[in-house]
Amino acid sequence: MPRIVRLRCAPAPVAHGTIVHMIAWPRHLGWWLAWALLSALACASLARNEMGQARDLFETDARIAHRLLSQSAVQHDAVLATLVLVQPGAADALGSDAATAPERLSAIYPQIRQVARRDGDTLWADPRDQAAEILSRATRRPVIAQFDWAQGRYRLLQAGLPSSFAITLDMRQLVPATTWPTPAGTHLASAWLELGGQRLVLQGVSGDPTSGCARAMEFRKHLAAPSQPFELVVQRRLAWAQLPLALMLGISLVLGLVLWALAFGLRQRQERARAEELLRLGQLGRLNTMGELAAGMAHELNQPLTAVMANTQAALRLLKDDPVDLPTATRAMDHASVQARRAADVIARLRRLLERPGTSTPNASVRLDDLARDVLHLLEPEFRAIQCQPRLDAPQAVNVTGDAVALSQIAHNLLMNAVHALAQVPAPERQLWVRVATEGTTVVLEVSDNGPGFTPEVAQRLFEPFFSTRPGGLGLGLSLCESLARGMGGELQADARAPRGACLRLTLRRAPEGAWA
Amino acid sequence: MSGEDRVLGADEQSPVIHLVDDDAAVREALSLLIGTVGLRVRAWGDPQAFMQDFDRQAVGAVVLDVRMPGISGLTVLEQLVAQGVDQPIVMLTGHGTVDMCRRAFKGGAAEFLEKPVDDELLIETLQTAVNRHVQSRQRLQADQQSTARYARLSEREREVLALIVQGLTNKEIGRHLGLSPRTVETHRAHLFEKLQVDSLAQLIRRFGSLATDTPS
Repeated sequence: MPRIVRLRCAPAPVAHGTIVHMIAWPRHLGWWLAWALLSALACASLARNEMGQARDLFETDARIAHRLLSQSAVQHDAVLATLVLVQPGAADALGSDAATAPERLSAIYPQIRQVARRDGDTLWADPRDQAAEILSRATRRPVIAQFDWAQGRYRLLQAGLPSSFAITLDMRQLVPATTWPTPAGTHLASAWLELGGQRLVLQGVSGDPTSGCARAMEFRKHLAAPSQPFELVVQRRLAWAQLPLALMLGISLVLGLVLWALAFGLRQRQERARAEELLRLGQLGRLNTMGELAAGMAHELNQPLTAVMANTQAALRLLKDDPVDLPTATRAMDHASVQARRAADVIARLRRLLERPGTSTPNASVRLDDLARDVLHLLEPEFRAIQCQPRLDAPQAVNVTGDAVALSQIAHNLLMNAVHALAQVPAPERQLWVRVATEGTTVVLEVSDNGPGFTPEVAQRLFEPFFSTRPGGLGLGLSLCESLARGMGGELQADARAPRGACLRLTLRRAPEGAWA
Repeated sequence: MSGEDRVLGADEQSPVIHLVDDDAAVREALSLLIGTVGLRVRAWGDPQAFMQDFDRQAVGAVVLDVRMPGISGLTVLEQLVAQGVDQPIVMLTGHGTVDMCRRAFKGGAAEFLEKPVDDELLIETLQTAVNRHVQSRQRLQADQQSTARYARLSEREREVLALIVQGLTNKEIGRHLGLSPRTVETHRAHLFEKLQVDSLAQLIRRFGSLATDTPS
């Protein structure tokens, strides 16, 4: 026999894995994309909601601040108007306690730091006050005379008769800290009063207001007092950190879990469907094999039965004839009896094959060489059809641990594959070998042919279900054999033969000595 | 069985049943059975040898096993029909399927029997097949003879024959062809002589179709 060129030993799993992986990647990508998209949508919606709330809160706070500042400014006008109207300087001249009235003003209005008065015949010490007085007298309302932006103070002056009054106001105390709507530091807000390009910060935030900022909000409005036309500016920035990041992460995780569960469920369902289909087809393949066995059996039985029937009927006719041809009739009956025995032998062989002692337990001791002989005999018509007699090399009894029915199926499948392969080469060249031998602790059954063999690409896929090189082939034969072999703790491998052909090799555990009775 | 079969069996020109089966025991037993009714049997173990050597001229029938080494009985059937073999072919199979049966009849099989086959059925089938073949061969022979005789007629005689077959009298034929009734009478006598018929009925039965089919 020519030397065997080994192509591969380990069957299917490698090829299986590769294919599953190749198919799985794009599908997983889809799931990942779906997760990213859904997470982004959920987070965006959350952020939008949060920002809307922040904006509302900001607007409310800013409006409250504006109203409080405006009230304060209006109060200044009222205080000055009262002073001008009451003229406490006159009382001062009388030496009454009215002289202390301006000091007491500071107690009621903490922002009023100083009250100044110019009596009828004097002049303001500061020319700016003097200029303001003229303007105030002309417009008949209070006028801002001086700014001290550094100190955060301004001087409001109203002309009167006989005395004019001026009050110095601390801008930082216009609104008591307890009623200020946005306590310093919270909400990352800043607020200032602006007039003529100068500004006074009422509440500030350190650092660059635009860095790390998710969104900036601004509020601008002039105070509702014409005498003090300050513009209130409130700014607030929403930092990334203020977004509900934990909630976003949580939702993203939950979405991921839901999608994963969905994908897992879908995949489970597919796997189950595939497994069911495979099982169904496996049964089909088994039925197919049984069908082939039955067809072979029918032919094996029909031939002797036909001969028996024809012989006995011919004998009957001869015996009824006149004159009776006794020698011919006797010979016919002789033949009939021989053929009846032949039919009985076929039945006995089938029973031996299927009801071998111990077949009820799948791991019994089986005579592998006898089993090979029986299967070869069953397939005799197939071998005759391709005009090729197999050569059996089984010099001694070989006991193996396994399932007789499964072993018969494997042997049957391997031989039928060889027959199909040999049909593709010219009849005179066809050769088929079957070898049963003990090799150490294992036992091998080898079926070799010099058919066309297989290419390395085909060899990679030989044991794959539904892979067939035969038109109309189910592609389950070898995959079924392989699973049967593995079920018995054995192994099936395919090798290419040089120069041409295939060698299928079943390796099994050797049965312990004397186990087979 | 009837004496007629015996007579057929005794003759050298008698029908031959060609039995093709690769199983020697089956071959022998069926040969014996068919032989009991006096039919001659020629058994073949190898379908290729049978196709090469069997006498296509002899009358008879062929019994073909479907499952044979090297070549299927159905393939043999198709090849024989394609070669124009006119012997009726009876297919025999151990496990017939509807598909196989359909293919056999489509391929031109006369009958499809299952093994093991009952003697009555087999013999009756074979006798029917053989009788049909004998008849078809006889008909063929008669047709060939008629054609040969018809070929000997002259142009004018064929015209007269065609009109006779149409049922015209001598007088009418004469008028039709511009001949005297006596001349028609002479042609008619020659016709009967050349075609070797004794009566008008015989003439019409054997040559009627030839006279009307052949354009004059």
